Amino acid sequence: MLGLATGPICLASCGPVVLPWMLVQPQRVRSHVRQLSIFLGARLAGYLAFAAVIWLAGIALARSGTARSWIMGGVQVLLAVGLLIYAAAWPHARCGFVRRRKNDLVQIDAASTATPKPRPTGAIALGFLTGINLCPPFLVAGVRAAQLPTLAAALMFFAVFFVGTAVWFMPFLSLGVVRRTPSFLTVARMAAVLLACWYGFTGGSLLIEKAIYG
Amino acid sequence: MASRVLTRPPALRSPAFRSIGRSVLLTLPMALWALLMFTPSFRQPGRNLHIGALLVILFMTALFFLMMRTGKTYRWRRYFFVALGLLFPVGFIASLVAVRGTMSIPIERMVSGDTPFCYMVIPMLILPAAVTRTIIFPGSILPTASNPHSIAIMIGLWLALTLVVGKAWCSYVCFFGGIEEGFAALPKRMKIRKLDPRLRLVPWAILLFVVVLSAALFEPVYCMWLCPFKTVTEYPAVHSVTTAIQMGIFITLFAGLVVVLPYLTKKRTQCAFFCPFGAFQSLFNKINLFEIRFDREKCVDCTLCQTSCPTMALSAESIREGKTLLNCMKCGACVDSCKKSAAVWHLKGTKVALKPERARLLFLYGAWAMATMFGGSILANSISTIIGFLPLR
Repeated sequence: MLGLATGPICLASCGPVVLPWMLVQPQRVRSHVRQLSIFLGARLAGYLAFAAVIWLAGIALARSGTARSWIMGGVQVLLAVGLLIYAAAWPHARCGFVRRRKNDLVQIDAASTATPKPRPTGAIALGFLTGINLCPPFLVAGVRAAQLPTLAAALMFFAVFFVGTAVWFMPFLSLGVVRRTPSFLTVARMAAVLLACWYGFTGGSLLIEKAIYG
Repeated sequence: MASRVLTRPPALRSPAFRSIGRSVLLTLPMALWALLMFTPSFRQPGRNLHIGALLVILFMTALFFLMMRTGKTYRWRRYFFVALGLLFPVGFIASLVAVRGTMSIPIERMVSGDTPFCYMVIPMLILPAAVTRTIIFPGSILPTASNPHSIAIMIGLWLALTLVVGKAWCSYVCFFGGIEEGFAALPKRMKIRKLDPRLRLVPWAILLFVVVLSAALFEPVYCMWLCPFKTVTEYPAVHSVTTAIQMGIFITLFAGLVVVLPYLTKKRTQCAFFCPFGAFQSLFNKINLFEIRFDREKCVDCTLCQTSCPTMALSAESIREGKTLLNCMKCGACVDSCKKSAAVWHLKGTKVALKPERARLLFLYGAWAMATMFGGSILANSISTIIGFLPLR
């Protein structure tokens, strides 16, 4: 119920990462289902890892502002790096984020069918990072998980919480039917760069603030 | 008779496209409209406001007459648009200083909803309003005594006008675009000639960025971080590193996109390569009745239209197809510059270049009425403010 109720906030929190990333995927619903499944799987892994840490460390960690800031800052900087790599790597298939082909300098101006098939690496990295991105509902769930008697209960709590929030991501599958044009892909990549700048700025300033003021 | 006048060869179009009598007759409805719009101003006390209203009536009527007389649109529209861009900040800043004593808005005034609504925020409102029924703007939905420019009134006005003229909003109403159009008009020649056509896509990326992030943060991200015009209107009071950074961004963007780049490129760089609201507004070009088309039989591919377009809304491909791109603001620069009369105003559903002047007239009546109503009142207010500062008895 917590996951379902706070889903729109989770969606708003992860949307800036998911949307540009989904928009540069090839125009096929099947591909979107596959990529979103990998993304959500990695996100679940992030949830469970956080649940385990929070249960082991106790409720103090969930309530500690300093720890929260360090984690949030670090995650946001990593998200920025991930989005930048994704935006830069997409048309040239150089990094591990997209599958290499024989003639792999696939230009963004080529027809949409020529877009390279994505590797799961990007989905896994971005999914895991959004999974441990400390949005408000996530922290509420963290406090509850830290109070549970066993680790298994904490993990189960977070897994069910994940299912509730994951329902809200299903509308992203509809992006699979939107026609991809070279302009469309360029816009998505530019937006990814802008969002990376934003995450880099907010994460970086959070880290700097904590480094200076503690 | 009418069709003969409408299809005159280009050599006769300038400087006297129509006779004086005919031009006066065609201007009469707009003169009456201007009088109607400013009648309430004459009922209010205050000599300065009366002078301002009278000057604006004369100004708007004279420009429309010249449009009718010469057959040129862009040339005369520009005088109005630059005046609007330059005078809007004068009136706005004066009223802010009169009410608050400063251009900066303290956070408590913002929280209490004392911020005048700006149409730039409209695309950012949609997602949060749809998902959570929250308006992410610190203004009042209905008009109040201290803030008559409420959210409901501004959105209603914008929607009504946009449905009539589409993206022409950006060249007949938007009080921000005039400043850069003024700077773009200053040099005789472009200093920078080659611009990457992909720059046209940047406003769409910024639109996507601000819409998604506004939904995530529940705040109008463009207004908080990216609006260049905060520099000459209203900005958050600087009291921390964050607000200082915000101010730095506003000033840099204003200097770069509104002053320096328009001067170097003779383009409206903020509108063409940055403004997310302009990108959003482009979508309404799809459903709008008026557009610019190219008569392929007359076109000699001289690219004069492409060079003159202030927003890069023309490409070689689009001209070959006889169309403009989606981001066309219907300013009329291409039509004015075309020596072969190949660029024409067009009413959708009719044959291209059949009666282009009739399409132009229909469009101009709507657009100029809108400009007089919206921009004219801003001009009158600003002029009366300036007269108030003059040492006159």
